[in-house]
Amino acid sequence: MQNTTSPTRPSKNLIIIIAVAVLIITASSMIPATFFSWLADRLNVFATVFLGIFVEAVPYLLLGTLASGLVEVFLDRDQIARWVSKRPVAASVSGSLMGIIFPVCECGVVPLTRRLFKKGLPLSAGISFLLAAPVLNPIVLFSTASAFGWADMLFWRFFLSFIIAVTVGLVFSIEKDSSNVLQTVLDSHEHTHSYKDLSVIEKIRQAFLITVDEFFDMGRYLVLGTTLAAALQTFISQSTLLAIGSGPILSVLVMLTLAVLLSICSTVDSFVALGFVGTFSFGSILSFLVFGPMVDIKSVMMYTQVFKRRAVFYIVAIPLMMSMLAGLLFNYLGK
Amino acid sequence: MPHRLTRSLQGLILLGLCIFFASKAINGQLTWYINARFIPLTLFGILFLAILAQTVFAEVRRSRAEDDEHEHHHEHQHSPIGLWVMLIPLLIGVLIPPRPLDSSAFTSKGLNTNAPLVSAESSAQLFETESEERNILDWLKLFNYNSDVAQFSGQQASVIGFVYFDEALGENQFYVSRFVVSCCAADGFAIAMPVQWNDLTSLEQDSWVQVKGTIEAVVIDDRNVPLIVAESVQEVPVPERPYLFP
Repeated sequence: MQNTTSPTRPSKNLIIIIAVAVLIITASSMIPATFFSWLADRLNVFATVFLGIFVEAVPYLLLGTLASGLVEVFLDRDQIARWVSKRPVAASVSGSLMGIIFPVCECGVVPLTRRLFKKGLPLSAGISFLLAAPVLNPIVLFSTASAFGWADMLFWRFFLSFIIAVTVGLVFSIEKDSSNVLQTVLDSHEHTHSYKDLSVIEKIRQAFLITVDEFFDMGRYLVLGTTLAAALQTFISQSTLLAIGSGPILSVLVMLTLAVLLSICSTVDSFVALGFVGTFSFGSILSFLVFGPMVDIKSVMMYTQVFKRRAVFYIVAIPLMMSMLAGLLFNYLGK
Repeated sequence: MPHRLTRSLQGLILLGLCIFFASKAINGQLTWYINARFIPLTLFGILFLAILAQTVFAEVRRSRAEDDEHEHHHEHQHSPIGLWVMLIPLLIGVLIPPRPLDSSAFTSKGLNTNAPLVSAESSAQLFETESEERNILDWLKLFNYNSDVAQFSGQQASVIGFVYFDEALGENQFYVSRFVVSCCAADGFAIAMPVQWNDLTSLEQDSWVQVKGTIEAVVIDDRNVPLIVAESVQEVPVPERPYLFP
């Protein structure tokens, strides 16, 4: 915090503001009027896309933060220790399958994972949960089935998501000291509140207050990520992206880029992917469906709240490599 | 527990979001942003935001009452930046006049005369619908999934969409276009049918029209495309749901 305000500063600022204003006015008089209508158009597209993602994501974020609040108040550390094994493979596998109990998408899973870490969930279980839960849950099962039917695409999407989540979980099980991976605020040795003696109504009230804090904590990353995604969509032409997307390698790269750019919720992304059937190969659409729920602009923004930067890198890079590899294999082995 | 001022601000922003979503739900503009099938989810969001705002305001009142009784303890400072960032959606929603996606989005989203989406089975049912009931998406699907498109020539069509002039089209032709949204505006893409009409001067880019006429199968860029030879082109108000939901 800078509290040393020199008396000359305000006047300096004033001069700068006036100079900038004069500059803008002179510059704008030289810019053709079409530029402004172009800008207004872009701004409108930006606003509509931004609000589209935001309106769609807020209910899911609310559900995720509510789950986080309820976990904080109703679950205690002993219960989690009892349920989740500390052995790496068992922890990763059970973490990957926890989405069946907590059906959350990629917006909701981050606050919930963060809370579970605070409650002493083993690192590898939490990371597997983070990556797998947005796909391996009943809601996505049904939305994928209604888009693609109970067929190959559904099986491979779930199978690959599971394998990737377990792999990344195992990679992190090498790290014994979770403080190297998690942001310091999450170090689980901090004192924990006890809610045991509270009445149910009081517990729910506390859970709601935690929900609010989490909503603001995570919401700002949702907003920043959505802003970035909407801006990129406004200025990068999706049609040129799709036009270059032929061929076994490029098609996978384009679909992976699109998964990150579009930043749509995993509960509905299969309907979007359906739009690419016919234009894109099985492998490239599969990589879109596997990678998109794990990594997109807004979820990476939120990951930085939970993990240290190096850990975020691995959480993004390993799924990227694996889903790309899977997409390429399908493209080359014919499908 | 966070500072009381932070709590009050949280409550106001939650209330602001709640009112913003609710106003969109009431004036029907939610479908400018998301597929109608997700509206129930937004309604849940509105309700839950209201409950959370109420909980926060109650907490503020409570802590004020407690303060009167005894001197207050330590307060963690919650980063206020997080709060201000949450105002961005409200600012965007309030300051930028709302407008559904239109031809100005074509530069980034492109325009399609084919409809590669949705499962193949839904095209079969389309044969049973009255030809005048079909929308732009239905026509494109029919032309996409059938090799014998000549059978559709001469059928009556009546579709609603917005006007888009494309120089690549022939003389006295324009596109009647519509955005298709599966999830939210972010995945929206435009589809269009060419229209043959003699009086282009009376039409404006992006104005909404109802086109009635007969279908003629034409080939554009090696693709079978349904063209409407228009008998009437009438200006209509923006439909309640400007996008088509597959």
